[in-house]
Amino acid sequence: MSINTLRLAGALFGAVALYSAPAVAEDLVLGASVQLTGPVANTGRYYKDAYEFTIDKINEAGGVKVGDKQYKLALKLYDNQSDVNLSVRQYTQLITQDKVNLLLGPFASNFALADSAISEKYQVPMVQGGGASDQIFSRNFKYIFGTLAPASNYFGSTIAMMKELDPAPKSVALLYADDSFDVSVAKGTRPLLTDAGFTIALDERYTSNASDFNSLLSQVKNANVDAVLMAGHETEILNFVRQAKSLSVAPKLYSFTVGVPSEDFRKALGKDADYAYGMSAWLPSTDLKDRWFGDAAAFAEAYKAKYGYAPDYHAASGAADVEALAKAVEAAGTIDPKAVRDAIAKLNFDSLYGTVAFGENGQINLAQTVVQIQDGNLAAVYGGKGFIEKPKYPMPTWDAR
Amino acid sequence: MDLLAQVFVNGILLGGLYAIMALGLALVWGVLNIVNLAHGAFIMLGAYLSWYLFKYLGIDPFLGLPITAIVMFGAGYAVQRGMLNLIVRAPMFNTLLVTFGLEVVLTYLAQLAFSADFRTINPSYAGSNIAIGPVVVPIVRLAAFGVAIVLAVIMWLFLLRTRLGRAIRATAQNLVAARLYGVEPRHLYATTFGIGIGLAGVAGGLYGTVSQINPYIGATLTAKCFAIAIIGGLENPLGVIVGGLVLGIIESLAILYIGATFGDVASFGVLVLVLIVRPSGLLGRTA
Repeated sequence: MSINTLRLAGALFGAVALYSAPAVAEDLVLGASVQLTGPVANTGRYYKDAYEFTIDKINEAGGVKVGDKQYKLALKLYDNQSDVNLSVRQYTQLITQDKVNLLLGPFASNFALADSAISEKYQVPMVQGGGASDQIFSRNFKYIFGTLAPASNYFGSTIAMMKELDPAPKSVALLYADDSFDVSVAKGTRPLLTDAGFTIALDERYTSNASDFNSLLSQVKNANVDAVLMAGHETEILNFVRQAKSLSVAPKLYSFTVGVPSEDFRKALGKDADYAYGMSAWLPSTDLKDRWFGDAAAFAEAYKAKYGYAPDYHAASGAADVEALAKAVEAAGTIDPKAVRDAIAKLNFDSLYGTVAFGENGQINLAQTVVQIQDGNLAAVYGGKGFIEKPKYPMPTWDAR
Repeated sequence: MDLLAQVFVNGILLGGLYAIMALGLALVWGVLNIVNLAHGAFIMLGAYLSWYLFKYLGIDPFLGLPITAIVMFGAGYAVQRGMLNLIVRAPMFNTLLVTFGLEVVLTYLAQLAFSADFRTINPSYAGSNIAIGPVVVPIVRLAAFGVAIVLAVIMWLFLLRTRLGRAIRATAQNLVAARLYGVEPRHLYATTFGIGIGLAGVAGGLYGTVSQINPYIGATLTAKCFAIAIIGGLENPLGVIVGGLVLGIIESLAILYIGATFGDVASFGVLVLVLIVRPSGLLGRTA
């Protein structure tokens, strides 16, 4: 046998050993399909890393105790290649062939929206931290739970802050991508804006994955709005900011639903990322106590040490999902999916992510903290109790930076 | 009125960028009769190459373009000699399958090599602009537009005037006759494909300075290039410029007047219209 054949044989045995591991009797298997490749792989990795990180941590502490039996958590994870249809098939496979016990979610609302139909059909609870669209939770589904704050209220805290700024912005442009999450954001933001007395001078929906924003930016400039609120994907927001600079479009304030809290965004834009506002329902604070990690700051530190990048609210939300399932199984005293489902609905515990408790529709309710990039760092500027750190407002023109 | 002028200028500049992306695709398609579905993936690779040159060697993205072009030419030459030459006279469907496979492989290799992180080529002047009256012209886009025009003219002269260019056209028109005159098609095909990929590399470098780079930008760019090549016609590099401009302007105006979700609808609508009215492209010879 040549060296290569030996290597191949070794690799095959290794692979078999790896894949048969979750089949051991005392394992509680959590199944998930996440974007590891494809256009949203960049955010998908937060979920894979958070799931694995949290499962390892819980197992280190002895796993979960169900009745008088001790279970270790195991993860069965597929890569859905950023393809919704594939993810639906994979969730079906997870339940029908891999016989996983419980489900964790994918990233992004359109995925959670489609995949939750599978968990509902087979009556296996899914706790997902990647889909915030209100659509997911408006169908009276019993087996879907979400740990992201509702999309419709993403800009709620930002609008509350805008009222207190001096000089207060008056006119607003609302731009959003044409997908489930962003449409929900826009739908929720419109009444918030009008109730707060702002004029919506521009209200435009654009195509997901658009790379050219010059026409939209020219309209923003022409309408001379004070503030731009944009709900989109990170790639689009990167392009938007770069092109805003090249067209000298500088409203007093602009805020984005995604991107701003993540390190990658600041790296890609460098100094041009400054002044951008965003929101995060989670910040790595020592006030958020956690049974397994100690607190959120310790979680963030250990996570960064292991994976080489700082976790953002996506990662924290993913970690909270694993903890929610562990807690619910312990509370239910059985791994029967229906009993666990009822236990999830009754959960109320403090975690590194905040208090995890689900509303009647299955969604968590968390307040968003307004964040802003100031000199390359992320600063929390406005929360439920008012200003935290002074926001840099208004944004100077591009040539005055 | 100011808004219309601004959006019109945006459209022209966008068109320049589109044109340079499509030049290589149209050349390969016209000469080798291969619709290279991996073209966008090569643009992506060119963008990463420019990014590395800029980030780690400090080479200005515009000055780095010749390096990118030469390296990508070499890669294109090798891919054609080693792989595509096997299917060059195969039915269209086979060439589509192979180049599609190539696009998938390149994309996933790129994610392994570069990760899914977003990158931007961000020299100090990347956001600068000049104001002409009320119209703002971003200089990077203007420069990209200039590069596109210059390259198209060079391509045009090259195909029309030089020996190699004539040989390329002769092979495209009549392979048997060209061989009788001593043209060696394998080398020629590889050279043509290499030039096409070199152009894709240049387009990638320019794209990285106005947009962001990740391993997945290729597929949508291929679709755009495809539309531009059809609108402009395959016979003449200047036709590609026209195709790019038409597409850029129509998209920009559609976003302004109909709505921002209608950019693609408008551009592919034009594609269908051209296919019906002038199937050989706007500058193509009518049959």
